[in-house]
Amino acid sequence: MAASVGPKTATQSPSLRRSVTPWGSFSWGYSDVGADIFVGLGLVLGAAAGASNVAFLFAGLVYVCIGLAYTELAAAYPVAGGGQYFVFRGLGDIFGFIAGWAVLLDFTIDIVLFAWSCIDYLSKLVPILSFTVHPWVHFLVVFGVIGGLALLNVIGVRESSAFNELVSGLDVVSETAILFFGFLFAFSPELLVHTMQTAWPTPFALMNGVSLAIISFVGLESIAQAAQETQRPASVIPRTSVSLILTILIFALSYSNLALGMHPWHPLPLDKDGHVQALWHYLGNEENNGAAVAVLSSYVPYWGALAATYVPILGAILLLISSNSGVFGSSRIAYAMSGTQLLPSVFRQVHPRFRTPVVSIVSFCGVALVELIFAALPSLWPGLKSTYSELFRGEDGITFLGDLYAFGAAASYSFVFLAVIALRLNDSASPRKFKMPFNIPFTYKGNRVEFPVVAVIGFFGIVSILTFTMITHLIGRIAGPSWIILGIIGYLVYRKSRGLPVFRSQPHDWRKAQVNILQDAGELELMDEYLANIKAMDERKAARASAG
Amino acid sequence: MRRLVRSESYARARLVTATLFAVFGAVIIVRTLLKVGPVAAAVPAYILGLALLALAVVRFRDYRASRRAP
Repeated sequence: MAASVGPKTATQSPSLRRSVTPWGSFSWGYSDVGADIFVGLGLVLGAAAGASNVAFLFAGLVYVCIGLAYTELAAAYPVAGGGQYFVFRGLGDIFGFIAGWAVLLDFTIDIVLFAWSCIDYLSKLVPILSFTVHPWVHFLVVFGVIGGLALLNVIGVRESSAFNELVSGLDVVSETAILFFGFLFAFSPELLVHTMQTAWPTPFALMNGVSLAIISFVGLESIAQAAQETQRPASVIPRTSVSLILTILIFALSYSNLALGMHPWHPLPLDKDGHVQALWHYLGNEENNGAAVAVLSSYVPYWGALAATYVPILGAILLLISSNSGVFGSSRIAYAMSGTQLLPSVFRQVHPRFRTPVVSIVSFCGVALVELIFAALPSLWPGLKSTYSELFRGEDGITFLGDLYAFGAAASYSFVFLAVIALRLNDSASPRKFKMPFNIPFTYKGNRVEFPVVAVIGFFGIVSILTFTMITHLIGRIAGPSWIILGIIGYLVYRKSRGLPVFRSQPHDWRKAQVNILQDAGELELMDEYLANIKAMDERKAARASAG
Repeated sequence: MRRLVRSESYARARLVTATLFAVFGAVIIVRTLLKVGPVAAAVPAYILGLALLALAVVRFRDYRASRRAP
């Protein structure tokens, strides 16, 4: 799917082959974002209880806005940088750095969280891997998985596009079958309403749930990554993205509603006090919250017996692909940021033999391993539990990772919404084959532009989720902003030492860049339209200058 | 895989799934309406039904576009 970086020299990068089909583009996004519900469901049920579906709904509506923003931007600027590139282009160097740095935090968490959850799913078939029973085994296997993924990425081995497409196809069919049997034979609207009324959480717990629900919708960078490698991306990306956004939203809403309103096909085990427990409660406890989809599917009528045997494996494969996309994505973004002098040139160093960005891969996998150790520590040494409880309100390892994931995603998405608005105002010449709906047309600096109302709604939505994360998660409140602040300090020191503008941006020839982007994408009609637009804009500007 | 995705049978399979999603969405909405009525707590279930109908519409449109394409 993607080539290694720089076949000739350390500073040259080849253009990526545009061989991704519409289904390939969908499955690429699906294998990244679709895996999130496997992690998110249990965490949200544990936090938001009877309002888990409301938490998913709120986060899902914000995600629809984010998805529409990414679709518009990826179709207009089909380059692999994703959110980081859009913010860099729309808001300038320093904001481009902050957005990229937040995305890097997310990618490092992505590596750990999905590797962790991958082993959780496998533990449903291989009990020795259970985190609650054998924390050291679980920890060492996750450590080994991350190390292995780093090694594979250094060597330059990636899962093939066909493999991604196959796994995504199987998962869509499987999830649809689970939901079909669940909703048709075991779902009860009365039970759903009853659960929501009797297990409604406190406002604090609901905010906690919403902040965790957003992790079920992270990974839209893959839309931009796919845009770079898709033929005629301006036409294909909007079609596949809208379908992807709806599919992911439906799965998240379906699973949360099913968990709250389904009668289990066979009796649940009693809780540790010997009481009967509800399905949602069972799925959200520490034993099952890492593999909630596998457990839920095993309680679905008819299909459940079969699902119990294959869902843990399918889930584990999807989660492993997602973890690998974290290794790949972090190294690519760091490489790209280094190329635009937002990060030191060391991150652009490639392996002399494998031509892969070895420093970036090793650095960010190293960060991921530190995060893993921090998350697993209280379970590995129970003596530390009391310290963690005192300092971090007793959050468990996977919740800690979820906190940071939500923080990084919310921070970078906030900037993407601002970038959409800035680019609509400052780059009205770029043709947009897809636009977010509900726009207000007006004249800005002599040009007709359209103000995106959905971007404003999405911005307030994602800022509220960021606020919820900061309010409800002590670790997220400390570690997330610390990551950003340390990054900014490093950025300022680096830019000053290189004699580059510290707070201002370097001069960029965006017009030339846009022509190259559209030409590379094979969007020659759009390139002609762009050239005609900028010619007309220049003529209007000259006419205004001569009149003034 | 690529050949399969471009085939007529794949387009028909998508049409079938679009119909399934439409039926599925309608069933959820109607059942919820009949069992619990228009109460606030059932809003997530109604939205799920509507999202399924929307996905079905997207798939129907995709199918029609693929039929029109040369």
